[in-house]
Amino acid sequence: MKLRRLIGFNLLTAVILGVIGFYVGWWLGTLFKGPSIDYLGDTQQNDVSLFIGYFTGVLGFLVGLGFANYPVQRMLGKPASLRAKETEGKARYFGLCTDHKVVGIQYLIGIGAFIFIGGLNAMLIRYELITPNQHAWNGNNYLTLVGLHGTMMMGMMTSGILGPFANYLVPIMIGARRMAFPRIEALTFWLLMAAGAILMTAIAFGGFPTGWTGYAPLIDQANMGVDAYIAFFAIVGLSMCLLGLNMVATVITMRAPGMTWGRLPIFVWGQFSTAILMLLAPPVLISTLLMVMLDRTAQTGFFNDQIGGSSYLYENLFWFFGHPEVYILALPGMGILLEILPVFTRKPLWGYKLAVSGLMGIALLSWLVWQHHLFMSGINADLRPFYMLSTELISLPTGFIFICALGTLWAGRIRLTSPMLFCLAWLFNFLIGGLSGVFLSDVPSDVTTHGSFFSMAHFHYTIMGALLFSFFGGIYFWLPKMTGIKLNERLAKAHFWVMFIAFNSTFGPLLVIGFLGMPRRAVTYAGYLQGANTWVSVSAFFLGGSMLIFLFNFVWSLVFVREPAGDNPWNSKSIEWQLPSPVPVHNFDRIPTFGPDPYPYGHAGSDAIPPRPAVAPTRHTQ
Amino acid sequence: MSELASHSTDYSVIESEPPEVMGRNLRVGAHLWSSATAFFFVAFLFTYFYLRSLNNHGLWHPKGVKPPVTLGTLIAIAVAVSAIASLAAARRLRAGDRGAFRSLGLVALALGIAAIVLQIVVFSTVGFGPTDGAYASVFLAWSGFYMVFVAGTMYWLEVLLATSFRYRSQVASEPGEASGDPDRMGDDIARPLSLQSPGADAFAFTWGVLAGIGVLTWIILYLI
Repeated sequence: MKLRRLIGFNLLTAVILGVIGFYVGWWLGTLFKGPSIDYLGDTQQNDVSLFIGYFTGVLGFLVGLGFANYPVQRMLGKPASLRAKETEGKARYFGLCTDHKVVGIQYLIGIGAFIFIGGLNAMLIRYELITPNQHAWNGNNYLTLVGLHGTMMMGMMTSGILGPFANYLVPIMIGARRMAFPRIEALTFWLLMAAGAILMTAIAFGGFPTGWTGYAPLIDQANMGVDAYIAFFAIVGLSMCLLGLNMVATVITMRAPGMTWGRLPIFVWGQFSTAILMLLAPPVLISTLLMVMLDRTAQTGFFNDQIGGSSYLYENLFWFFGHPEVYILALPGMGILLEILPVFTRKPLWGYKLAVSGLMGIALLSWLVWQHHLFMSGINADLRPFYMLSTELISLPTGFIFICALGTLWAGRIRLTSPMLFCLAWLFNFLIGGLSGVFLSDVPSDVTTHGSFFSMAHFHYTIMGALLFSFFGGIYFWLPKMTGIKLNERLAKAHFWVMFIAFNSTFGPLLVIGFLGMPRRAVTYAGYLQGANTWVSVSAFFLGGSMLIFLFNFVWSLVFVREPAGDNPWNSKSIEWQLPSPVPVHNFDRIPTFGPDPYPYGHAGSDAIPPRPAVAPTRHTQ
Repeated sequence: MSELASHSTDYSVIESEPPEVMGRNLRVGAHLWSSATAFFFVAFLFTYFYLRSLNNHGLWHPKGVKPPVTLGTLIAIAVAVSAIASLAAARRLRAGDRGAFRSLGLVALALGIAAIVLQIVVFSTVGFGPTDGAYASVFLAWSGFYMVFVAGTMYWLEVLLATSFRYRSQVASEPGEASGDPDRMGDDIARPLSLQSPGADAFAFTWGVLAGIGVLTWIILYLI
């Protein structure tokens, strides 16, 4: 039985078939190798082999997990085969499982691992920048580290909240037993893991110098390492698109009776607005990366000015995806913030409709701003005012979120638990991120700050300061529900304070360093900036160290102490906390019916779920 | 212990989801997938007009780069007629005529495959290559990836037809309903025919949108 399990469809089989698939693809590619575009001379690189290798490797990986069984069965006209039990045992975490809660936990661990790798890259970058002169890495390796860090973080964290938290919680919060398309849900996770592994192979092929944006013409000219970047982002794009599709479909079709649009928990609205962007923005990225792939293999000329293409085209297409991507990173955190605040203020969410319009307004406006990334790239001057104003307009719906958060905090009975602390930090960090963003949306100041550490610090304030803080807030808040185990609160608070202080001590000075003229992606810098850079590097090491506190807490609490959390340790009134911890396999014995108030705090005896008859229904029982 | 759920393994009391949910999922999923597909091709549309308006080094459309209009027209006709046939097939299935669904579905499948074959013929006979200017790049990539989408959509039609043929002697069943296997969370179905009609509707919509994109592709790449 053990042997059968070992050689069945699982992660081990997947990895073996993935590696075999890669080498088979590589060999196939050598059969019809064409000269790659290489402006620097013939370096004998074979991009065709590498792309085919990545494709067949991912295919083998998915076959090994059992993803091919369903389409092959259906092709033969048969119903889906029923695999062995999916409801018990640890083995389900290492293979294709269609339980949304298992997929959520898979996401949490999988993405967490890659974020940790991305964070290590950041430490290596800061180590290099301790001194103004090159001392640890040469220019190419430094740029590869910067690219790997940015790409890993941007690629993985797009699903950083939708993957673990939305997959786990949205079906429960809307009273469903599953996502609309459970196999697609599982597929999105395993695609992401395959993509992460592919990106790591960039090092073996010489790295890539393009950073996370991969601008043309450099992306056309770079060596084979950049193929890993292209394959990574294309697969991440596919994963994002399918995740968004599944999430939108779930919220539209799977809501329980009484769960009207006006009663959706604000967390669900946050994920829903994000999912719309995830559904529509990544296809443009995928198209763009396929064009790059063809430029590098079939020698098309999309981004090659010499044969009628344009490198500016890449910038337009990339940022048409890239700016919605920024809000894909920001919106889910807003959902977490507004969901957690009522619990720890013991107040209903202030301005529910305003918050919803804020979330949807940001999602809508995010399509109209991408050209502000091209202010310095020679766009038509007449276009600048429109994009400047549309960018600044986004501060309006963002302001709605702040107003709702502050309104909820106002006169609340605030409990400074670890999730609450992370939420309060979100407000502080995102405010600085937003205010510094105004400088980048204004054409005159953007001319000065574009491409500097100022813009780098700005987006770290908005993305790391908001997304990662809400991510950890979500972990401390919902992990007791997901695992049934309580995390050590004292260690959690220690993690928070070290992370919060070190974060601001790292990125606050970087705003100033950027103003003083330090450019991004340069391995050396002016000597007078050394003091500030050393300070930032030391702070960054503390920031990295704070993650070790979290890791220690995670392992210590979950593996060694294992203190039961109870069903509702935070005394929350939302539905997931009315279920046992961890949540049973089928979520609910009966589909619940929801009452009118999603946040019934402050009313004695009130509840989001009205009392139900205590008899099992007779309709549709299995 | 909550009154909403328990860790009991006695799943006999667990209420199934309403039977219409799975069909609704398919329809909504088809609409969403079509939206994503449209955005995929929006990138090519933007690229076409962007590079055409720039005309870098006068190399947008060099002399001699001529797409085979006749073959392109045949491809557009094939996808359009196939989509119309699949719409008719879905309508017949909704009316309970499974035989007509299979016949019309086969026609739609044959025409879809014919479009792919014709595209391969275009690629093997076209008189220019990817390096012959920006238009050539857009033409080859856009029409190539379009055919990848057509192939995937034809796979979906094949699944619908294979199920219909395999269970052709079985009585049609109610829409939706999960398998009832308590050990699964997936959307497998107890009666394979129960999702045929919503599946055919979802397919017909998706294929209709894709065929619309195909006709637009033909107008832009071959006619303008």
